Amino acid sequence: MRRVNVWKMLFVALVSAILLAGCSSEESGGTSEKENSGKSASGKDQELVIAVNENFISMDPHNTGDTNSNSVQTAMLEGLLGSDEEGQIIPQLAEEYSVSDDALEYSFKLRQGVTFHDGEPFNAEAVKTSFERIMNDESLRLNSRGFNLITSIDVIDDYQVKVTLKEPYAGMLTRFVSAKILSPKLINDSSSDIGKTPVGTGPFKFVEWVQGDHLTVERFDDYWNKADRVKKITYKPVPENGSRVAMLKTGEAHVIYPAPVQNLKELESNSDVEIHKIPSTIARYVSINTMKEPYDDVRIRQAINYAVNKEAFISVVNSGYGLPLDSIIPSKTQFYSKQETYDHNIEKAKKLMKEAGFEDGFNAEIWGNTNSDTLKGMQFIQQQLKEIGITVEIKSMEEGTLSDEIYGAQTPEEAKVQMWYVSWSAYPSDTTNATKPLFSSSSFPPDGANTAYYKNDDVDKWITEVNQTADPDKQAEIYSNIQSTIYKDAPWIFLGVDEILAGSRSNVEGVFISPTGGINVTDANLK
Amino acid sequence: MLQYILKRILEMIPILFIVSILIFFFTHLIPGDPARLVAGKDATLEEVTIIRAELGLDKPIWDQYITYMSNLFQGDLGTSLKTGLPVSEMFADRFMPSIYLTFMSMGWALVLGLLIGTLSAVFKNKWPDYLGMVTAVSGISMPGFWLGLILIQIFSVQLGWLPTGGAESWKSYILPSITLGAGIMSMLARFTRSSLLETLRADFIRTGRAKGLKESVVIPKHALRNSLIPVVTIAGLQFGFLLGGSVVVETVFSFPGMGRLLIDSIAFRDYPVIQAELLLFSIEFILVNLIVDIMYSMLNPKIRYVS
Repeated sequence: MRRVNVWKMLFVALVSAILLAGCSSEESGGTSEKENSGKSASGKDQELVIAVNENFISMDPHNTGDTNSNSVQTAMLEGLLGSDEEGQIIPQLAEEYSVSDDALEYSFKLRQGVTFHDGEPFNAEAVKTSFERIMNDESLRLNSRGFNLITSIDVIDDYQVKVTLKEPYAGMLTRFVSAKILSPKLINDSSSDIGKTPVGTGPFKFVEWVQGDHLTVERFDDYWNKADRVKKITYKPVPENGSRVAMLKTGEAHVIYPAPVQNLKELESNSDVEIHKIPSTIARYVSINTMKEPYDDVRIRQAINYAVNKEAFISVVNSGYGLPLDSIIPSKTQFYSKQETYDHNIEKAKKLMKEAGFEDGFNAEIWGNTNSDTLKGMQFIQQQLKEIGITVEIKSMEEGTLSDEIYGAQTPEEAKVQMWYVSWSAYPSDTTNATKPLFSSSSFPPDGANTAYYKNDDVDKWITEVNQTADPDKQAEIYSNIQSTIYKDAPWIFLGVDEILAGSRSNVEGVFISPTGGINVTDANLK
Repeated sequence: MLQYILKRILEMIPILFIVSILIFFFTHLIPGDPARLVAGKDATLEEVTIIRAELGLDKPIWDQYITYMSNLFQGDLGTSLKTGLPVSEMFADRFMPSIYLTFMSMGWALVLGLLIGTLSAVFKNKWPDYLGMVTAVSGISMPGFWLGLILIQIFSVQLGWLPTGGAESWKSYILPSITLGAGIMSMLARFTRSSLLETLRADFIRTGRAKGLKESVVIPKHALRNSLIPVVTIAGLQFGFLLGGSVVVETVFSFPGMGRLLIDSIAFRDYPVIQAELLLFSIEFILVNLIVDIMYSMLNPKIRYVS
């Protein structure tokens, strides 16, 4: 009997402890927030924590393909050119730049008095060393994207460099943004460390990277722009949405990117948290195989576009965050010109179907990856196309398998894909990358991502032409033609443009997210 | 005994050899081209071809296998296709946190599982038994993913006592290890209870009691010890699964462990990382089994191993 009493007492004590803890939660929660985010009165001695959704892959700026690695690199490394909040190109380590009329020569006047984190001086030779690394190493991503077109890098004097290309390439300025300048000492003495411990001229210098856990950078006090900024920044990969939200709420993280849509209401009601909505360059679409029956008939493709309600797509699939895709490129992309959209019009769609001889509809197949949002999007398309008699079968495939199915086809005839639910994201300043790989007939898989197998001789000619001129007015005119022609040809179901969502604590200043999802921390501070 | 252990360790060599062959070919059978995945979807065929050659994926599979095995014999686990870092370096940061997490989860799951199981058996059909079994059933039925998020909500967001994730201090290990250990603790509690109840009905226990032995001697020294063999088997098996099966928990708690690395690597078809990790898990599994066999003979001297 006595033993049972002891048990009862223990049980009562345990329940009371849990209840008490629960009751005092708000009070203690508040204390922990203060401890976490208000270590000292002045922001400049504090540490900023940024939680992102994926691991960083490599710190080698010349071989980076993912946005998260790129974000961290921009805190430590700088290019001759940089990009502003809108994603447009601005001078960074170059004070001025000019492009020759034939779009073959790029001249840069360099910033003086800049040093690398290891004490090496920044000058024209340093630029040459970095650029030559990219030119000479075929395995680097940047090599195949513009740098393989370079014929010479001329050092005019200590602070002037001229780069010459063998043929014009309109995306070259954006490549100069990506081609961060590394310390020549690092490249010459320990090039194998570039991917792990980069050395640049940026506002923060590398401290440590524990794979899968965190990457820390520290303020570089000799940085050329002496503005006030936080002492330390820690980047953490936190893939689980709920955990990232919890970190923002407790103050363990000051910035989270992306902020999950399903938690927005709860975050918006929290006075310590701010939500940022940034129109992106991420286009959501379904590519339609224009070489397959019955999709080779433009009326069918237009009918499909009229049948899909874009507003409903944004509210159902994107939870209301996003804009309709009203051109072949998102509005944040350079040379964008708005097109007359395919409004939701079932009658018109049915009429077009009838004209094309498919009054009773047909059976179709849509492919996509296994992501739950993709699945939701494909189900939406399935439901919308049912209205005009098209019965859509959804085929959801794991990313690697899907990639095999799409890029395994060596010729358009071999291609089995009918419709592919996918997205594309290009730099706001690089319209070439937003058009050529998707609509040029030289980019049919496996050569590129023109999975609509779209071929239009005018468009092909224009895409070549636009790359051969440096005159922005002429480029704008050609891009306008490209956009209106392709939009009318409807090789895609034009769906929407994502709005990027990020969350921050209200005491964070000077951190911004670009339309590509990059996080800029140059002026990061805590109030 | 020592001879037996040595023999078992030597036996591991051919087993691991076969396992490594299976791992290599099965990994290469997964659909999906690593070069294409590494290059990204905006890559041209030319870029993909360069990357494929760079990674040695353009060579015949036998060539690739020979290179893989000869590197393996020299202790070189290869280089990650995705990050370009040596696989051993990628493991270095993640191996110890995973091991700590596994031991911590297993540790408290064993202690609590045995305690709850024993108390439930001793107080059969009384309220400690009911309470113990309700805890055990809850532990088994709660999905790790859900339990993890609930724990974060209570202990990190509401109370602010523990961090939401990472592996920076011992505090970071508390919530993930509870989440990971909950299912095993429950299973051990149930096995201990039923095994102990069976032993308590055995003749030698009745004899012991008849001889006037106190319950405090009968239960831990005679009954529990004899009930532990099935429990050890289950614990051993679970331990093996824990090492590789903590993916969900590692994701919820942003824990830098081996499970998450494996999932990331599979998504990217990062062959060297997948192969090395599966091989490591196989070695661990075999070692755990060996330890379980040794523990049998320690628990029941009647079990003897001859070499």
